[in-house]
Amino acid sequence: MSVPDYMQCAEDHQTVLVVVQPVGIVPEDQFFRIYKRISSVNQVNVRDTQRALFIRYRHHYPPENNEWGDFQTHRKVVGLISVTSCSSAKEWPQTAERFHGQKELFGSTLYDSRLLVFGLQGDIAEQQRTDVAFYPSYDNCPDVEKRVEDFVESIFIVLESKRLDRATDKSGDKIPLLCVPFEKKDFVGLDTDSRHYKKRCQGRMRKHVGDLCLQAGMLQDALVHYHMAVELLRSVNDFLWLGAALEGLCSASVIFHYPGGTAGKSGARKPSISAATDTGKRHRPGALTTSGISADTSSEIGRAKNCLSQEDIIEKYKEAISYYGKYKNAGVIELEACVKAVRVLAIQKRAMEASEFLQNAVYINLGQLSEEEKIQRYSVLSELYELIGFHRKSAFFKRVAAMQCVAPTIPDPGWKACYRLLLETLPGYSLSLDPKDFSKGTHRGWAAVQMRLLHELVYASRRMGNPGLSVRHLSFLLQTMLDFLSDQEKKEVTQSLENYTSKCPGGMNIITLPDGLKLPPVPFTKLPIVKSVSLLNLPASLRPHKVKGLPGQGVTSASPFIYSPITLHSRGDDRTKKIDFQWVQGDVCEVQLMVYNPMPFELRVENMGLLMSGVEFESLPAALSLPAESGLYPVTLVGVPRTAGNITVNGYHTSVFGVSSDCLLDSLVGVKSSGCTVEVVPSLPRLQLSTSLPRSARLCGEDLSSSVCLQLFNGETQQLVITLENIGSETLNTLEMSSKTLTTKEKLFGDFLSWDLQDALSRLPLKPGQAVTVPVDIHAKLDFSGQENLLQDLNDDGISVTGLPISSPLRQVLKPRPENKQVNADTSKSEYNHVKTLEAVLNFRYSGGLGQVEGYYREISLGVKVDVEPSVFFTRVSTLPASSTRQCHLLLDVFNPTEHELTLTARNQQLILHSSECQRMAIQVDKFDFESLPMPSHDVLRQSSLYQQEEERQQAHGGQINSTLDLRWNIISFSCQLLSSLCSSGEASVEGVLTQLVLEHMQLAPLQWDVLVNGKACDSDVVADCKVGDAVPLEVKLTNRSKSPVGPFSLTVVPFQDYQNGVQNSELQDVVTFIGSNSFYIDSVSPAGNSTCVGALLFLYTGDFYLSIKFQDDSVGRDLPPASFCLPSVHVRAQEPVEVAA
Amino acid sequence: MEICKVFFHLSVSVILSPLQNYPLYIRSVPSQSELKFHYTVHTSLDVVEEKISTAGKAMAEQRELYLGLLYPTEDYKVYGYVTNSKVKFVIVVDSSNTSLRDNEIRSMFRKLHNSFTDVMCNPFYNPGDPIQSRAMFTMVSGLKSDKCGWLV
Repeated sequence: MSVPDYMQCAEDHQTVLVVVQPVGIVPEDQFFRIYKRISSVNQVNVRDTQRALFIRYRHHYPPENNEWGDFQTHRKVVGLISVTSCSSAKEWPQTAERFHGQKELFGSTLYDSRLLVFGLQGDIAEQQRTDVAFYPSYDNCPDVEKRVEDFVESIFIVLESKRLDRATDKSGDKIPLLCVPFEKKDFVGLDTDSRHYKKRCQGRMRKHVGDLCLQAGMLQDALVHYHMAVELLRSVNDFLWLGAALEGLCSASVIFHYPGGTAGKSGARKPSISAATDTGKRHRPGALTTSGISADTSSEIGRAKNCLSQEDIIEKYKEAISYYGKYKNAGVIELEACVKAVRVLAIQKRAMEASEFLQNAVYINLGQLSEEEKIQRYSVLSELYELIGFHRKSAFFKRVAAMQCVAPTIPDPGWKACYRLLLETLPGYSLSLDPKDFSKGTHRGWAAVQMRLLHELVYASRRMGNPGLSVRHLSFLLQTMLDFLSDQEKKEVTQSLENYTSKCPGGMNIITLPDGLKLPPVPFTKLPIVKSVSLLNLPASLRPHKVKGLPGQGVTSASPFIYSPITLHSRGDDRTKKIDFQWVQGDVCEVQLMVYNPMPFELRVENMGLLMSGVEFESLPAALSLPAESGLYPVTLVGVPRTAGNITVNGYHTSVFGVSSDCLLDSLVGVKSSGCTVEVVPSLPRLQLSTSLPRSARLCGEDLSSSVCLQLFNGETQQLVITLENIGSETLNTLEMSSKTLTTKEKLFGDFLSWDLQDALSRLPLKPGQAVTVPVDIHAKLDFSGQENLLQDLNDDGISVTGLPISSPLRQVLKPRPENKQVNADTSKSEYNHVKTLEAVLNFRYSGGLGQVEGYYREISLGVKVDVEPSVFFTRVSTLPASSTRQCHLLLDVFNPTEHELTLTARNQQLILHSSECQRMAIQVDKFDFESLPMPSHDVLRQSSLYQQEEERQQAHGGQINSTLDLRWNIISFSCQLLSSLCSSGEASVEGVLTQLVLEHMQLAPLQWDVLVNGKACDSDVVADCKVGDAVPLEVKLTNRSKSPVGPFSLTVVPFQDYQNGVQNSELQDVVTFIGSNSFYIDSVSPAGNSTCVGALLFLYTGDFYLSIKFQDDSVGRDLPPASFCLPSVHVRAQEPVEVAA
Repeated sequence: MEICKVFFHLSVSVILSPLQNYPLYIRSVPSQSELKFHYTVHTSLDVVEEKISTAGKAMAEQRELYLGLLYPTEDYKVYGYVTNSKVKFVIVVDSSNTSLRDNEIRSMFRKLHNSFTDVMCNPFYNPGDPIQSRAMFTMVSGLKSDKCGWLV
């Protein structure tokens, strides 16, 4: 006996063995269909008795095993069912012949046999035979089961008779000696009459009867017989049979204790009976009292005594195995006993002891085993270890079995079987083929052995001729074991991966194996490792803005608090958080990943793109090459959203070593992200801005799309032409323009930027590709007042500015600068070069397309930076009264700080200044009536402080003065540096220079005095003519332009003569006489009213006379400025009257 | 020839999960055919777990840390030791070395345990990482030389 049945279990001892075999040519699938139906009849309740017979079917049984049938009767083939196809009556004799031949094979042990004939019809089929059944076809055989049951019953009858025969065979003095095949020659020539021999015969027969009782369903009797056999055989040291008797005892006890069986769920032997019905049917009437015939208590007590306890079963098994172990030829029996014991221990959950049995089983030498047997043996060991919960040990043996499948000695290695077995070892090494199980937390399982197993899987799948599988396993190895691979191994693995993928590129599809196992895809999330994902905002000029005031723009916050120090920080929130900027449909958007390469060599990542969801998205893949063990490396992935809505970054896809993978962010560990969802707004037009001026570096602190930079002299104006081109795909419908001057400490006069948008607006809507131009005037007008340091600088020259003689209105006061001063001009250039900078931002706000409907617009901005060089300085301003009270002279000290010659024009005057020259300019101006200026409204007044009001008023006054003066400068020079003629002109302003005092001087007095002589208005330069002897009427008229009533005033008129030598003679009582009073009285004058008083003078001699009108009482009008009381002096020339006229 | 192999296993959870057994420290003297020992020790974990689970039921508190001989193979004897925090120590010795008695094995484990405790006390050691301690290295080397001296 050399073929062990690893499937054996203890309860098999109570079964009878029936072999089902095909005779002649029977289609395999048909045979197994019939076999399945036959083997469903594995338990038969025998008529008239309440006992059950259990049948074990085999379709293959080695005859040499049958020879051990006396040793353990369940090994004996007692029944034979042959299945045959027979199409014609002609074949029938031959078939019958074959059936008989088959019966011969197991002849000595068979109780009964049956032949099932399929396909035969006709006379032969009609005849009634007990041992042959005819069926027309394999599909038409309804009573096969019935036939088998009848057959089993007939077997039972034989079995029962044999049992009774042997059991009652007590008187017979000649008990035959039962023996196993290898014993036969040992007993030749032995004294058969000795007591010892008889006892041996008795013991063996007892054991045999025990077996029969067990098979016949008489568990109780079997136990008794086994006990007796053990005693008898122990006394004669018949160890092999003693072992068998002990094992029989164990089997019977196991059957008693575990009616459910020990084969467990894995029992492929009983496929048709579920565990529940099994246990139910296994109520053996012969063994159990409740429904049994022997209801008396004695047998109950006897059973309890005879049956082994659970611990004893193991003890007895151990003993039995140790006895078997004494015989080399009983190896199979020993092995099977071990297996049975392990199954029992597994049920008892005594894993440690079970492992000892198994350990023993490993060492049982069965002689030369074929490779197939070895594989079977290792597989069974693995299964048994699995049964007792030793998963690792189980995996170990399974792997050994797998290796055995492809052992070099096998001519045709079974790589498929090897691969399948290797797959089965995976759980034992805590390895699953799903990379998700390895993506989080610490590595699970023993990396060194796992790696080895994966390598073996790769190799096996390659030899199987399935490169797709190899790629998948190799990818898995690389992905999950990366931390455990040495640099050399990394290189090797990637190299072989590249080799495989050149034949079969790896993808993201699930590979389904023929046996249904699914291999999930392995995304290379570690090649490269992504550390952070951040969505980038569009460049400033392309960002969409929401029109304010539209619903949905309000601050939406889950918390009722405006600010809370407790920030609910959770990882999950981060990912789903929506980002507060928007992307625009149709415009390229960017996502930045920080990646690094953990490999010791350069990593080429191809076809790297974004995986998005939410809106249609066109990804524009990139290829990158990361240096070996690179640090964090930024990678920007781009794409274009094609529709509007909320877009979410789900992950990215890569192609590394020929394996393309989709890496989802959810499954990545340690990825920092500030949110992955962003809103995509409908498409908007795009403007490109170009200017007539060259571009310049960006302005600091402002996020601008572009900027221009230019240099202007103070007061100069330049035009900037801005061209706006619609380079998007949407029509531009609206365009707005605004400017913002950046805060500067320089005081700015007038509008810095001014433009006319009308022309551009008239050309809207702007179709894609079209352009509009917007002219913008840049007007740099800063303070023209000389700075302190400049004055200081001038003073250093020893020329006093303040002490200048002022008698001449236009006089050159400054000599050209001394030469020595020019020498160090360069070094102190910065001092002179008082360049000031003006910065402003022009904003264009535009919208169109669908985005406009949603309320979005875009802004493009242009920074304008102007370096303002000083053109002229007004170092000092003062006034001189002009001859008329209505006029005055404005004196300006003008300094030319430029390096060029400068012409300054004011009204009709012109002044030429050389570089660094200072001259005085006097301009005669009419005094100003500031009161007539429009006053700011009351609202504004209320809001602004007093100081501000004052400031504003002064500014308004300045503006008025300035517009009247119309100061312009002109620089015509040839600059060597620029090699071009520089011709610039601009206007100058005195606004910043005017002081309060100057302003006051230039203000028209609120009280206007008019003096009329002879009805003719007199002012300083006008000489009134009159005749000597005539009465000259003098009229003094006061017009009140102030807001309050003035007066009363009393005036005295004093005539005097000016000798033009500084002497004035007022003693003119003899020369001039007053007609009436020489003093006037003016009553109080209400605002805007006037008052006139009239007197008369009589000149007695000819001559030039002056009239000085003075206030009699100077206490009057203290509250008014002195300018109010400035009356014009009257010049009267008295001439000879008659003669001339005559 | 004397082969001393030291393995550490850390089970992260108190409820012993077989999935989280992985080696923290492996040292074999001499260092060839290491993979074979990986398999030996890996399969011995079955026994360790079995012993813990059966012993654990009885007296979780006063369990003997030393598990004794896990199982003998043809060439090696495998001994096990489990701390209360389920850190497992395994020593594999040559079967032919019969002079090594249980007491010596026990003291070897105790030394290992102390050394491991020192490693865990290191604030720069990250629990769960493979141990790369020089003190541990010299200690394990010491175990070997001790025995060599003892053997000769």
